[in-house]
Amino acid sequence: MQDLFNSANFIDLDTWSVLFLVIVGFVGGLVSGFIGSGGAFVLTPGMMSLGVPGPVAVASNMCHKFPKALVGAYKRWKYGQVDIKLGIAMAIFASGGVQVGIKIQHMVLEKWGKAGSNLYVSAAFIVILLTVGGYVLWDAYKSVRGNNVVKVEKRTSLAQKLQSINLPPMIYFKTANVRISLWIVLPVGFATGMLAATIAVGGFIGVPGMIYIIGASSLVASATELVVAFIMGLGGSINWAMHGLVDIRLTLLILLGSLLGVQLGAIGTTYVKEYMIKVVMGTIMYISGRQ
Amino acid sequence: MAKENVSKNHVLKKVIGYGLLTAALYAAVFLNSTTVLKLCAKGGVYAVFPIALAFVFSFAHGAFANYLWQFLGIEALKQPKVEAEKTAEVAKRPEVRRRARVQA
Repeated sequence: MQDLFNSANFIDLDTWSVLFLVIVGFVGGLVSGFIGSGGAFVLTPGMMSLGVPGPVAVASNMCHKFPKALVGAYKRWKYGQVDIKLGIAMAIFASGGVQVGIKIQHMVLEKWGKAGSNLYVSAAFIVILLTVGGYVLWDAYKSVRGNNVVKVEKRTSLAQKLQSINLPPMIYFKTANVRISLWIVLPVGFATGMLAATIAVGGFIGVPGMIYIIGASSLVASATELVVAFIMGLGGSINWAMHGLVDIRLTLLILLGSLLGVQLGAIGTTYVKEYMIKVVMGTIMYISGRQ
Repeated sequence: MAKENVSKNHVLKKVIGYGLLTAALYAAVFLNSTTVLKLCAKGGVYAVFPIALAFVFSFAHGAFANYLWQFLGIEALKQPKVEAEKTAEVAKRPEVRRRARVQA
């Protein structure tokens, strides 16, 4: 057993570690169920703080991500919030973005070494989380201050303009109630994948992109992001598992908490006004970026 | 009232059933963690193993969590929340056709 732990970097688990993983999993699940993403940036550092090596932490986290997203997406689909077609389109383009994101990471690593790579990731983290998170928070503040009795969000003028561009192939996304060119969906999905490859949380671009560029409501965007997370998580997990880096014990312990959390988060979306998703997402992004 | 009790009992049975199944699955993995980890560490085609486990656990534990929240009375609001932004439909005005009048 000890050999196995030494060779494959699998850690020994004590009671504290088990409890920690279940609790962090619950919190991550709660956030994911509500805003569609955001669990990874809590869970990966959490596992690494227990002494789990980086690649094993990323692999085990990703292997927990797709079943959690599957359960969350199913739950929110039952509430009529998921646009499966939009989710699949986003995931396809995001997969391309992941590949390019990984190549850029390798290039940065080769050219500027580990310090340069860390600087690149940190800079992307700070710039994207602060700018996008700040904008989401500002927009949510406008909704709260301006008209908090309106249940249905207004589409942004940017989304309306982009929807009016008649560039084939045009696709109609039924649940999102959006008819838009696939050429507009492509960069949003691509950027989601690139961010996922850079800071491991693609949803922080995917959800705001679906809201402000494609024109979906916060509720539909956050629910659809779970479909994207499922498809991308499954692909990533297969890749990591083929390298033998998934510590299934860690995955299952996180799942123990996160499957409870993700369903609670999904239930929570039926009680709140739509802008609350923006409030929570913007706050998490902004705080993470500042830290 | 009686119908509500029957429904609550039905949910409780599901909580217990899926709870036992989940507990059994966790026990099976953690009591045999050496074998399980060895299989996962092999990689290659053995990648099927952790992926399949994640799916099985998501089904059993996911169902347990669903019925547990239901049993505790934590359920979604019934009203449909997604109200897709509806373009304001302009009410059609009745078509007014002027009649030809003969002015005497």
